[in-house]
Amino acid sequence: MKTVAKKEFKDLLTEKTFILAIIIQLFIASFSTFLVIGLTSFYDPTALGDVDFEGINIGVVGTENDELYQILIENNVHTYLYDDFIPAYGDFYDRKIDAIIVTPLGTAEGTDLLNVDIYLPKSEIKATVISLQLKESLEEYEQRVRDVRTQRLPGYSPIDFNIIERGVRASSTFFEFVYVALLPLLVFTPAFISGGLVIDFITEEYERKTMDLLLASPASLLEIISGKAILAILIVPLQSFVWMLLLSMNRISISHSLQILLIVTLIAGVLVFSSTIIAVFFKDRGVAQLLYSLVLIFLFMSSYLFTNSPLNLVTRLSINSITAVESWTWTGIYLFLALFLYMATMLVIKKDPHNI
Amino acid sequence: MYMPGWLTIAKWELMRSKLKFDARSIIMLIISLILVIAASYAASQTGMSMNQKIYMVAFSQPDVQPIIQTDQRFDYMLVDRYKTTVYYEYGADMAIIGNNVYLSDTRKAASAADALENTFIEYREIVLTSYNDVNNSHPVWVTVHDLERPQDFQLAGTESTIDEISRGYNSTAALESVPGGSEGASGDGSVRTGSSTISPEDIEALDAIEGKTFFEKQTLSTPSNFNPPVPFTAILYAFLFIFPIYFVSQFYSTSLMDERTNRKGELILIAPLRSRDVVIGKTVPYLVITMAIQAAITLYILKMPSTLADVERIILVLAAIFPVILLFFALSFYSAILSRSFKELTFASVFLSVVISGYLFFPAMFANIHAISSISPITLIVRLIEGESVPMSTYLFSTLPFYLVAGAVYVFGTSIFREEDLFTQKSIGSKIIDCFEMFLSYRYGSVFFLSIIFIPVVYMTQLMLIVMLFNLPVPYSILAMIVLSALAEEIVKSIGIYTLFKRKLKEITFKNAVRLSILSGAGFFVGEKAVAVLTLAPIASSAFGTVMTMGAMLLIPLLLHVTTVAISSLVMYWKGPDAYKYAVILATIFHSLYNMTILRGLLF
Repeated sequence: MKTVAKKEFKDLLTEKTFILAIIIQLFIASFSTFLVIGLTSFYDPTALGDVDFEGINIGVVGTENDELYQILIENNVHTYLYDDFIPAYGDFYDRKIDAIIVTPLGTAEGTDLLNVDIYLPKSEIKATVISLQLKESLEEYEQRVRDVRTQRLPGYSPIDFNIIERGVRASSTFFEFVYVALLPLLVFTPAFISGGLVIDFITEEYERKTMDLLLASPASLLEIISGKAILAILIVPLQSFVWMLLLSMNRISISHSLQILLIVTLIAGVLVFSSTIIAVFFKDRGVAQLLYSLVLIFLFMSSYLFTNSPLNLVTRLSINSITAVESWTWTGIYLFLALFLYMATMLVIKKDPHNI
Repeated sequence: MYMPGWLTIAKWELMRSKLKFDARSIIMLIISLILVIAASYAASQTGMSMNQKIYMVAFSQPDVQPIIQTDQRFDYMLVDRYKTTVYYEYGADMAIIGNNVYLSDTRKAASAADALENTFIEYREIVLTSYNDVNNSHPVWVTVHDLERPQDFQLAGTESTIDEISRGYNSTAALESVPGGSEGASGDGSVRTGSSTISPEDIEALDAIEGKTFFEKQTLSTPSNFNPPVPFTAILYAFLFIFPIYFVSQFYSTSLMDERTNRKGELILIAPLRSRDVVIGKTVPYLVITMAIQAAITLYILKMPSTLADVERIILVLAAIFPVILLFFALSFYSAILSRSFKELTFASVFLSVVISGYLFFPAMFANIHAISSISPITLIVRLIEGESVPMSTYLFSTLPFYLVAGAVYVFGTSIFREEDLFTQKSIGSKIIDCFEMFLSYRYGSVFFLSIIFIPVVYMTQLMLIVMLFNLPVPYSILAMIVLSALAEEIVKSIGIYTLFKRKLKEITFKNAVRLSILSGAGFFVGEKAVAVLTLAPIASSAFGTVMTMGAMLLIPLLLHVTTVAISSLVMYWKGPDAYKYAVILATIFHSLYNMTILRGLLF
C-alpha cells in the first residue's frame, strides 16, 4: 500500500501535473482577489480610499426649493440647477455634467407618488460611482417623505435603533466575501481536485490494462487502491495549509486553523472514497468523472440546506462564531461519514470481480 | 451510396458512446441527476446564501426577535438584561439594550453592525409592504435611464470612440432615445412628467418589481432598492451556458484519449481516411449535442419565440456561444493529443477551462458598465437577453479571437493526428514542435505565416494577463505586463526558427538566421497591425491597452520585432538550437527595455 502511494506520488511530481494543479489554484485565488477588489470598490468606494467623488457634477432639473435638491446640497454633491431638461442634456453631452436628476413635482405633504428620473451615462464606469453617491441622498429623501406619510398608516411605528460605532469600520459585503466565499472555496478546492484525481489514478489502470500487471505483483487490489486513495487525501491538507498561510499573510486572520485543516481532510476523505467507489464500480473514466461531478454538485447544493455544512462550518470556525461543543459535534459527524465511506470502499473492492 | 469519410466516423462515434453507457451507468446517472435537481430546488427555496449564523447577537427585548429572525446571518440569544451585558463581555458581537446597539471592537462586530443596518432596512420594507397603501408606504420612486454620449480619450490616435465601435452609435439618434428629448427640442418646453402616470399604482405592481428575476435589468425602484449596476446576472449566465460545455468536452477528450490508449484508434488510422476526416467526424457529434443543449438553455431563458425578432435573437445568442464551444473543444482536442495519461489530461483540461472561464467571466461582470466587457462573448449574450442589439462589429470584436485560436489549434492538432504522435510516449514539448514542423514543411508554410497565426493567441494571452495582473499595485502591474507580453511575443516569433534549426529543416547559417528573423518579425508586425485596426481600438484608452498596441508609428515597431527575433535566432546560430531558452530570455529583456523607455511616462 505504501509503495503504491509512493509510486503515485513520484509520478505526480515527475509529470509536473501537480505543479499545474497548484497553478490552477493560484489562478482561482488571483481571480478571487480580482473579484474582492471589484466588489469592494462597487459596494463601498470609500474602502478604496481616495476615490474621486470630486470630479463628478450632477445636473438637477427643478427649482431651488425642491426638497431633494436641498438634500443633495447638504450632502455636498456638486450640483448645477437647471429649469429645463434640454440645456441640462446639452451640458451632459458636452461632459460638463455626468448625470441628470429630474426632481418630482409633488411634495411630502401631498398624496401623489413622487417619481425621480435619473439619467446616467451609458456604459461608463462613472455611472456606478454616481449611483452609489446618489443612493444615500435618495434614501434620505425617501426617509423624509416617509416621516410625513407613514403617519397616515394605522399602527405603524418606525424601527428606531441607535448603533454605537466603535471606531472599527468594516463593510459586511467585503467581510462576508472573504470568510463566507473565499476561504471555504480555497481550502476545499484541493479536496475537489483530489476526488477527480483518484478517478484518473484508478480508471487509468483499468483502461491501460495495467491493473492486471499490478495485481500480478504481490500487492492486492485493496492495497493498490488504498495506496492511491491515501495519497490523494494526504496532499489535500498540505495545499489547504498553504492557502491559509497565504491568506494570513494578507492580514486575514483565521481562528481554529488546525480544526479547519482536520475538517478539510475529512471532507477530502469523503470525496476521495466516494470517487473511489465510483471508479471501481464503473471503470470508465468519462462516466466516472461525470458521476463524480454530479455528486459534487449535489453535495454543494445540499450544503445550503443546513447550518453546519462543511463550508459554513469552516466559515464559522474561522471567525470564532461557533461554540466548541457544536463544532466538535459536527467534526465528529464528518469523521463518521468518512469512516462509513471508507468501509463502503473496502466492501466494494472486496466484492469486485477483479479481486483475486 | 457514397458517404463522406467524416460522416462515417461520426456515426461510429455515436454508436460507441451508446455502448459505453450500459444500463447500470445510465440508471446511476439518472438517479444522481434527480438528486442534483432535488437538492438545487430545495437550496433555491432557502435564499441561496451560505452565511448562516455567523454573527452573534444578544438582546433582552422580545420585540427585536422578529427583526433578527428575518436574517439568517444572525445567531441570537434572547436573555434578560443582565445576561445580555454578560454575553456582550464574553463573545457576542453585538448586544441590543433598549434602543442602543453596542458593538465589540472587532472587524467582525463592525461588519455585523453593517449587516444589522441592512436588516433593519429590509425589515422596514417588509412591514411597509404589508400595508396596501403604496402612496404612503413607498412614496418615492426612482427611474433610471441610460443616456449615450461620446466618450473622451486622452490617448491620441484613437479617434473612434468605444460607443461607435461597440454599439454602432451615432449622436443624432441619441437625442431621440431620450424620452421627451426630441419633443423638447422642438420647443415644447418641459419634459417633467407627472409622476403618478408611470409609477406602479398598487402593491401587486410593487411586488412584481421587487420580485423581479435575476435576469431582468432594473430600471424602476424605490430608493432603498436602488442599486448600482453590478451585473451579477452575467456570472449566472456564464455558468448556465458554460457548465454543459465542460461536461461534453470531458467526454470528447476522453473519447479521443480512448483511441490513444492501447492503440485502439489504429484501426481508424489504417482505414482509407484522411486524418482531417477522422478529426471532424469525432468532433461533430459532440458539437451538435452541445449546441442542442445550448439551444435548450437559450429557449429556457428567452421563452418560446413568438415573433421573427425573437427567433433572430435566439440565433444570435447561439452564434455568440458557438465560438466559445469551438475553443473549448479545440483545446480539449489538443490536450487529449498531447497528454500521456488521464491525469495529465484532467489537469490540462481543468487548467484550460479555468483560464477560458476567467477570460469569459471577468469582463462579462462589467457588462453594463465598461466597453472592455465586449471582449467576452458572454457580454454579447447578456446584452442580447436584455433586449439590446449587437452590431456586427462588436460580434467580430469579441468572437474573432475565439474563431481564430480554435481554428489554429485544430489545424495544428490535426497535423499531428498520426501514428507516431498518437501512440508513442513522446514528450509534450516535442509533440508541439512536431506541429510546427508539419506546418513549416508545407509548400507555403513559412515563419512569416506562423507568426501571423500566433497573433490571436498572443492577443488572448495578453488580455488574460490584464485580468491576472489587475491585483498588483500600479507601477508593478504595468512592469509585469510589459515583461510578460514581451515574453509571449518573443516566444511565438522565434519558435518557428527554433523548429527549423532543431529539426534541421534549414541549415544553421548566418544568412538563414537573419533572413528568417526578417520574415518572422515582419509576419508578426503585419498580424499585429491587422489586429490593432480590427479590434483593439475599444480598449486602447487604458494604460494596459497602450502596452498592447503601442507604436502608432510604423517603422520603429517593425524594426523592433525584426531586431528582437534576430537576437534569438543569432544566439541559436552561435550557441546551437539548445540555447533557445536563453535566446528568448535575452530577446525578452531587450524588448521590455525598449517598451519601458516608450512607456516611461506611465511608470515613473
